[in-house]
Amino acid sequence: MAGWIGYFIMVPMVYIAVAVFVIGILARVARLLASPKHPFPLRLYPVPSSARLCALKETFLMPQVRAHAPLFWVFLILFHIAFLFLFLGHLDLIPGIHLMPPDSVHMLGHGFIGLTVTLATFYFLLRRMRGTLREISVLGDYLLLLLLILLFLTGDTVSWANSWNPDGFVIGKVEFGDYLQSLLGFTFANPRDLLPGSHYIVVVLHVLLANLFLILFPFTKIMHTFFALPMNRLRRG
Amino acid sequence: MDVALQETLKGLFQTKLNREMRLYLDTCARCGVCIEACHVYASRPEARYTAVGRAEVIRRLFRQYFKAEGGIAPWLGETIALDDPTLEKVYEAAYTCTGCRRCMTYCPFGIDTQMIQSIGKLLLIGADREPKLLTMLAVKDAATTEIYTETKADFETAMKNLEAEVIEKWRSEAGEKAIPVGAIGSDVLYVALAGKHSIIPAAAIMNAAQENWSLSYFEAVNFGAFVGNPEKTQEISARIIDEATRLGAREVAVCECGTAYRVLKHQIGSQPFEVISFVELIDRYLEAGRIRLRPGTLEGRVTYHDPCQMGRNGGVLEAPRRVLRHLGAEFVEMEPNRGDNWCCGGGGGLVAMGEKDFRMWSARVKADQVKATGASVVATACENCHAQLSDLNEHYELGTRVAFLSSLVADALAGRGRSHPGG
Repeated sequence: MAGWIGYFIMVPMVYIAVAVFVIGILARVARLLASPKHPFPLRLYPVPSSARLCALKETFLMPQVRAHAPLFWVFLILFHIAFLFLFLGHLDLIPGIHLMPPDSVHMLGHGFIGLTVTLATFYFLLRRMRGTLREISVLGDYLLLLLLILLFLTGDTVSWANSWNPDGFVIGKVEFGDYLQSLLGFTFANPRDLLPGSHYIVVVLHVLLANLFLILFPFTKIMHTFFALPMNRLRRG
Repeated sequence: MDVALQETLKGLFQTKLNREMRLYLDTCARCGVCIEACHVYASRPEARYTAVGRAEVIRRLFRQYFKAEGGIAPWLGETIALDDPTLEKVYEAAYTCTGCRRCMTYCPFGIDTQMIQSIGKLLLIGADREPKLLTMLAVKDAATTEIYTETKADFETAMKNLEAEVIEKWRSEAGEKAIPVGAIGSDVLYVALAGKHSIIPAAAIMNAAQENWSLSYFEAVNFGAFVGNPEKTQEISARIIDEATRLGAREVAVCECGTAYRVLKHQIGSQPFEVISFVELIDRYLEAGRIRLRPGTLEGRVTYHDPCQMGRNGGVLEAPRRVLRHLGAEFVEMEPNRGDNWCCGGGGGLVAMGEKDFRMWSARVKADQVKATGASVVATACENCHAQLSDLNEHYELGTRVAFLSSLVADALAGRGRSHPGG
């Protein structure tokens, strides 16, 4: 039974999650594009010399947050940069893609990228537990942060704590590469055969949480990933 | 609340769900960066007075009725139903927000709280729970189109009676027609507010500049915008658009009223005339030398309050400062200023509604800001701001004089400068 659940999480659910992720995002964007446009501009003044550049700057550097909540800004910037590297680090696992030296046993960032997003997310959660921010938060905000924390912690375990074994990595990049290759090739191979090691259950948990993250993504505020720039364009005209 | 009304309100909500509104409702991360932006919160730090706190009332309704979450897991987003207690919350959120959009400058995504509150205002209209005074004023404004042929003669007589006061301000050049009304082919159609304070200084200034101008029959203020009624907003604007088009005016100059300016300048689409604020017109006269001001008419230190709808939301930021410099007084900026200025606390229809107790405590931060300048004169270019700042001046014993820019300029008119082709 446990083996069957593990297989479902590691293979079919991954396809389902990716499908929901892609279709959900496309549906959200399509719905927006199908909605009528607001009849008049919503920009603020003074208008910057280049609205495009200003919107880009405000989207990626968040000067408003830096000005009004500097500590939060530090964690936000760290989180977003680390998240980008996390994505690249997972790409690096795919055979044929080498962002790290091919013979390196380490993931991109040697585990510190995962640690950065984990600490930042803990900060986001703690920050939300006091004062006015607590009053304006809803249950979904906490659950989403908890999901991220668990996702990152299991990822940390897989990518970093894994290397603390006296014999080095139990499940290495090559094994993860084989697993990803099997997913990309739709071989439906049993991941347990590709990923040896006693902490396989942590990998399954990590993939389960990642699946949930992908499934929830299009229906949550994480969609700001795609909408932050167009919204800043609205503000800057 | 009965089911039929609920359905009606849901239908009204749906009419507001355009592309931008969906972005604003869906994307908020509740990061809380906007919390400190609101002058009401700065004066009394309670979550319900934050931009996000107000918007959450509308967002929870949105999630309940327009998102799958409302049916599957309403507890996730703590959704709320359309009922009587919710409408009370909607009222509080909508009418403790002045629509200043200062929070928009804090938000990392630029979410427009005023726009979100326009849903609340529409729901209140649908439930017949909006401030009746604002609706009454909006209906009255819109109705002036229908009755204007009957009242036209009275209006012209009233203006004739004001002409002596205009001539007193500007003796030498007023001519026979100190307040021209309904003049075809005018270069400038000036749209004033009810009340001679909005007409006499402006007339004196335009006459001094030898402007080819005409006074609009209609009042500039748009109570449709205050009460959040899109149809009335359009109807009220249409009176002026039709008049300007009929008279062939090249420009419509809007008096010192922030909302009127923003609606006509930015919300009515392309028209065969340009829209400018009267402050910009004064600035143009001064820069072109069409009017000159006597130095020394304004004593002491002067500061300028940027009306939110003209400054941050309208783009009139530098012209008032140039005009004040021409007056020769010691000018000191409020901090923060321009696009970051604190709202005076009188917008969103609050001045018209009365609400003096709320307006006074909620604008403590504004009073502190004025006091910190040490100015003896606070100039502004908006009727609502003028009324609110005057009340604050009295309530907090600020010891300043609140003045319209146009009045300061009219009082300082010295003589005609260079002649201009149209003069």
